[in-house]
Amino acid sequence: MATKLPETDVVVVGLGAAGGIAVLPLCRAGLQVIGLEAGTWMVPGRDYRSDEIYNNVRGLVTTGNKVSGEIPTARRSETEVARQGARHPMMNAVGGTSIHYHAQSWRLNPWDFRVRSATLERYGAAYLPEGSTVEDWPLSYAELEPYYDQVEYELGVSGKAGNIQGRIDPAGNVFEGPRRREYPMPPLRSCDYLDHMMHAAKELGWHPYRGPAAINSQAYEGRPGCGLHGWCDRGGCHLRAKSSTDVTTIPKAQATGKLTVVDNANVRRIITDQSGRATGVIYIKDGTEWLQPARAVLIGCYTFENIRLLLLSRGPRHPDGLGNNRTQVGKHYFAHWDGQAGAGASALFPFDLNIWYGAIAQGVMLDDWADDNFDHSGLGFIGGASLHTYTEKHPIAAAAMSSYGHTQRRWGAQWKRFIRDNAGRWTSAYLQGNTYPYRNTWADLDPNVSDPFGDPVLRITAGPKDAEPKAAAHAGQKMLQWFRAAGAIEVAGGQGGTGATVSTHTHGGTRMGLDPATSVVDAFGFIHDCPNVALIGGSVMGSAGARNPTQTLQALAWRTAEHLVQNLAMRGA
Amino acid sequence: MSKPSEESGLSRRALLSGSVALVPLLATSCSSTTSSASSPRVVDSVFTVQERATLQALVDRLLPADEFSPAASECGVLDYFDRCLSEWNQGDVPLLRAAVAALQAQALERGGEFATLDVDTQDALLVAMEAGQFPAAAGQAGFNRLLRLTLEGMFSDPYYGGNRHYAGWDLIGYPGAVPAATPPMQAMGGRLPALHTSAYGAEHDGH
Repeated sequence: MATKLPETDVVVVGLGAAGGIAVLPLCRAGLQVIGLEAGTWMVPGRDYRSDEIYNNVRGLVTTGNKVSGEIPTARRSETEVARQGARHPMMNAVGGTSIHYHAQSWRLNPWDFRVRSATLERYGAAYLPEGSTVEDWPLSYAELEPYYDQVEYELGVSGKAGNIQGRIDPAGNVFEGPRRREYPMPPLRSCDYLDHMMHAAKELGWHPYRGPAAINSQAYEGRPGCGLHGWCDRGGCHLRAKSSTDVTTIPKAQATGKLTVVDNANVRRIITDQSGRATGVIYIKDGTEWLQPARAVLIGCYTFENIRLLLLSRGPRHPDGLGNNRTQVGKHYFAHWDGQAGAGASALFPFDLNIWYGAIAQGVMLDDWADDNFDHSGLGFIGGASLHTYTEKHPIAAAAMSSYGHTQRRWGAQWKRFIRDNAGRWTSAYLQGNTYPYRNTWADLDPNVSDPFGDPVLRITAGPKDAEPKAAAHAGQKMLQWFRAAGAIEVAGGQGGTGATVSTHTHGGTRMGLDPATSVVDAFGFIHDCPNVALIGGSVMGSAGARNPTQTLQALAWRTAEHLVQNLAMRGA
Repeated sequence: MSKPSEESGLSRRALLSGSVALVPLLATSCSSTTSSASSPRVVDSVFTVQERATLQALVDRLLPADEFSPAASECGVLDYFDRCLSEWNQGDVPLLRAAVAALQAQALERGGEFATLDVDTQDALLVAMEAGQFPAAAGQAGFNRLLRLTLEGMFSDPYYGGNRHYAGWDLIGYPGAVPAATPPMQAMGGRLPALHTSAYGAEHDGH
């Protein structure tokens, strides 16, 4: 039997990229907030290392204790038995995966918010991806813009604006939506390789720019600028220059005196009463089961656990899982069409690139072949992909290079000579594509595989897609063209990929929308038939942009929290 | 292709001066905060003497000695095997032992233990092993795993026992682990000078 704790105003489940943001506006408004986090605090000097074996081979920063027991299963069609992968893509910690992410911190393109209607207007119904359930978002870019701005300044994001209140600056992304002001910091330092690629793209008549990063390019709010030491990918920042929530918004929320962080807390159920409203959550810490009553609950886990926690939380008015009376929980799930989906390219140059150091977010990006930034007439698909090339090359990965057909074997004297000459001369790019939900892709509970508590893990079923592989292949050929224009002597990839099932960029499953028949949460993130529970995170996003989702889900989380503040204020104490 | 003499004129001292000097060189790690640093640097081999002899011959065909580096075993790749297989990749041991046994069985059919065969015969056996032509299923899977572990041993931080004297990093031109990189460390125009720095400090770089 759970031990009942005193009631609080708001419980936030998960203090990662989303929950770590939401706590700040809640606490600033004076609400008492309890943050339940499955992981614990990471300590830079102890937990983060300049070590490829530690970070990338063994995944010791990224392998959280709780998620390791609940790795989703995945399959490509309903007729297969889903199989569990070796690793969970995300981690548990205060700060969550914002600790080890690349920290590319984007706003979506305004087009992403209205893919369906914009496609109908410009190309007609035949261009809607076959089998897709994509809808317009229930809010516009303009409505989210103030929250993007807020998040950029609270976290600390480095970048160059391409559109300030309609004034276009070609030094930034000319395709972006209007922003109210410049980024809080200039872009991360450039280097010869990036300058070289920037120049090559301009020669092609394209519009390259330095991508934004939630990494300090200079001292900001008491944290130093980035050292560009080259261990950002799957590692935490030893300097606290990466603007992870554990060093930014969570400490700010703690400073109000209103946030209680409960670490190593494994949340197992959301409890609802006869009216269908949530009364609190059940969690286990140190082997003891606790009931934490709350006036409102924000669920801010990763997409997988947001879905699973709803499906596991059955109640008198929610017999098939919380918010699932219209069987929408787990529907409209999808993994981003990106490098993890096979959408990447590589190139070999006839000179040393010296990109060993740096950061993945120290890159050059272009959007000419993304979103609806080019005319798709006659192409037969919508969307596209951003092209991004970058620094940070680790030695084992560098040596494990393709020999581009130059050696007979991948070992031996000839091969050794080849990598001796070329391991520092190749690079890669990844493409991130506009991605949409499809009827053949969803998440539900696995009938065969359980977590250590005996609860089923999530099962992903991900079928083939219509638009994404075509759009990614189209963009991939542009990436190869860019590499060749920059002097590459060999290129590979750019074929479009086959799509991911499980990834670090999963979206949907608790989609937001205006119609409860096709969505789980409303335009502010609250469950249609359980108005004191909201979902925050990528699970509310109904489509993916051609870029990393984190800053968008953070802006949405801030907006959800602000809405909750207003609602609780109206209801009184 | 560039030769070692084409290194840029930057000295190690120049690279480590300037803004980097503001950051302690070993800020990313120190022995008091890395618990695994206290684990034994020399571990008992998980392989028998005969298995180790076969593995030595094998990894030395994957990464043979040339004018740019000693052979894999001389760079500590087998020490990396022993260390990672005893403290982390224990699950690989049965596969690797089976793979070694399969290779040895094929070698004996060619007239002797693998380590005693001439290099052309060794290479021919490894080509067959890689192609999945051994009767034992462990052949191809074991080869792939051994190739991967050889790469890890050669190019990982020397803290783990391989990459002895930074031979692997010198081979491909990776200068070494630093807490912060200066602009010259990202400049194009030849190879960067070697720094020979482990993430774990000189006392933990394995030699």
